[in-house]
Amino acid sequence: MLDVSELVTTYGKIEALKGVSLHVAGGKITCLLGPNGAGKTTLMMTIAGILRPRRGSIKLEGAELVGLSPAKIVSRGIALVPENRLVFPEMSVRENLLAGAYQRRDKSEIAADMERMYARFPQLKERREQLAGTLSGGEQQMLAVARALMSRPRVLLMDEPSLGLAPLIVAEIFDIVAALNRDGTTMLLVEQNAHMALKVAHQFFLMEQGRVTFQGTPGQLAEDEVIQRAYLGTRRAG
Amino acid sequence: MDDYLVSVLSNIGVISFVALSAYLLLLTGEISFGQQAFFAIGAYAAGMATAMWGWPLALGIAWGAAVGAACAVSLGIPTLRLRGLQFSIATLAFAEMVRILFELFRYQVDIDGEPVGPNGTDGFRSIRYIFDHNIETFDFMMLIYTMLAVTLAGFMLLERSRLGVIFRMIGEDATLASLQGIAVARYKVLAAGIAGALAAVGGGLYAHLTTYVEPRTFDVMLGVHSLAYGLIGGLGTALGPLLGVVIDVGLLESVRLFAGYRMIIFGGLVALLLIFRPRGLLDERLVNRIGRLFRNAISGSTRTGRGSR
Amino acid sequence: MRTIVCMLVAVAALTAGYPQAAHGQVRAKAAVTCVSAGQVLEYDCTIRLANARSGEPLSGLTVSVGADMPSMPGMHNVRAVKATEQAEKGAYKVRLELEMHGDWAVQIDLRGAVRDRVISMLRFEEADVTDVKPSSGRRGH
Repeated sequence: MLDVSELVTTYGKIEALKGVSLHVAGGKITCLLGPNGAGKTTLMMTIAGILRPRRGSIKLEGAELVGLSPAKIVSRGIALVPENRLVFPEMSVRENLLAGAYQRRDKSEIAADMERMYARFPQLKERREQLAGTLSGGEQQMLAVARALMSRPRVLLMDEPSLGLAPLIVAEIFDIVAALNRDGTTMLLVEQNAHMALKVAHQFFLMEQGRVTFQGTPGQLAEDEVIQRAYLGTRRAG
Repeated sequence: MDDYLVSVLSNIGVISFVALSAYLLLLTGEISFGQQAFFAIGAYAAGMATAMWGWPLALGIAWGAAVGAACAVSLGIPTLRLRGLQFSIATLAFAEMVRILFELFRYQVDIDGEPVGPNGTDGFRSIRYIFDHNIETFDFMMLIYTMLAVTLAGFMLLERSRLGVIFRMIGEDATLASLQGIAVARYKVLAAGIAGALAAVGGGLYAHLTTYVEPRTFDVMLGVHSLAYGLIGGLGTALGPLLGVVIDVGLLESVRLFAGYRMIIFGGLVALLLIFRPRGLLDERLVNRIGRLFRNAISGSTRTGRGSR
Repeated sequence: MRTIVCMLVAVAALTAGYPQAAHGQVRAKAAVTCVSAGQVLEYDCTIRLANARSGEPLSGLTVSVGADMPSMPGMHNVRAVKATEQAEKGAYKVRLELEMHGDWAVQIDLRGAVRDRVISMLRFEEADVTDVKPSSGRRGH
């Protein structure tokens, strides 16, 4: 569905992506694992159009995305839940959700989608008039996901959705990821939490120093080895 | 009504336009030190229209606003690509450039045996429209406030509209806004154009209120103040910058106690507020809380939510 | 750029359509001299008003005098004071209390037979008061 090939993105002279190729299959959850500085976030930002690649191509169902503005890329059906900058803090939960539907004109459908989001995330409904900045970390993450879904994306990109969240909330987020996928959403997920990621992923890629160093299905590589490579050799519990 | 009160209120009204102009840009996350340039452009353009070309006041002010907007858009297209501080400095440089251009600008025509028009550093005197047409200062004040009320109503509509939400989104996080599919650059230029027109309307009114302007009226002092009004009064609503103007021009003006120390107090106030209330007195949180109280009162709802953390 | 050109054309068209308005009203001109009144920031000013065209003194008017600082628009306003008419024809006297030294626009409002406003730019300093000459540069905040 989403094909990235030979992508090179640079910051000045430093190559953050040194020719990355990967394939995201439709209807599946694809996970991207790797240590800090491997270029995972750079890849996500490049796909979303925030960063311009030096070389390479990104195709969504055969249509080239490189060179399009972030706004155009959203309209083609890609939504990114970025890392760390989740919500518009001084806007209400409701306004944040509407922001996600910015490019849609179908008012009644938008309203219906809002109700769907409120049904899926009851905490958001309860707090819909509250400013998003006053929500807890987990709630902000849920709001960010819900907002991305409001654009009815064909591919949902999530950059480290579990970052900084308590284990119980992380489990909840991954339940949501699995549930969204059951409803047919294609997902590309960047994760540090290899243990959780391997549980939900259909396929995964390992990235190290700007390159893809492994690709396969969760069964193909022992979890221990994935974790070791994802954390650059330091063993930590997932 | 006391003449003095009329003059203070008229000043508050006129300065409010520049404050709203800076506020609109603050909403989109841009700090401009240069809105006084558009105030100046509006003042000169509208003054020339009525005093030299004999246009009616309304047309003169509309013309001033159009010139202000056109200049703001032409400045905005190259400078809004710059980020943060660079943009602020570019606006400051532009405003100083405009001020110096007006110091060099001489264009006078002979009216009733007297030269009328901009005359370099000497300024532009005899913008006598309200005297030639026997408009009382009180009536002119009412005109200012009518226009201000219309502008405020426009802001209220804006804040409820899609465009207003877009401006806020860009202001809070431009990258996140572009991830929602917003063409950020285009909206920033639009905001700059509207802000330029607003400042120019204020300038046009100011020129006719005082009957004279000169280049140093438009130095950076005015720009810094108009920026500070939004930061003091609050960024949650368009009433914020107006509160800022009232506090500065109104309160400090009427309380003569502070006479010579006013600038010190004003500066201190800005510093304190930036530390303790970075988004001003009427910030988004307060406006949101008041809004929710208001809605709850109307719907008579029994649940008020779990409150904010 | 195109918008600006269009606007300029529109303006040219509009100005062509508008004849210069003929103003029949009397315009005033004023000569203002001020001296320190002893107290700091207090000044006694004498204002001589005349018809701008004929030079004839204007007497019997209600004259109020205020001041503001051009370098700080709308910020420093001096409450307007009524001037008292003098024996000399067209002369009025007023005491001004300012907030600080520097350049002030003295604003003279006339009511009665003539309604007008005359602005006089003066530089108020500790010891003396001078006219602000166009070339005197920027001073005083």
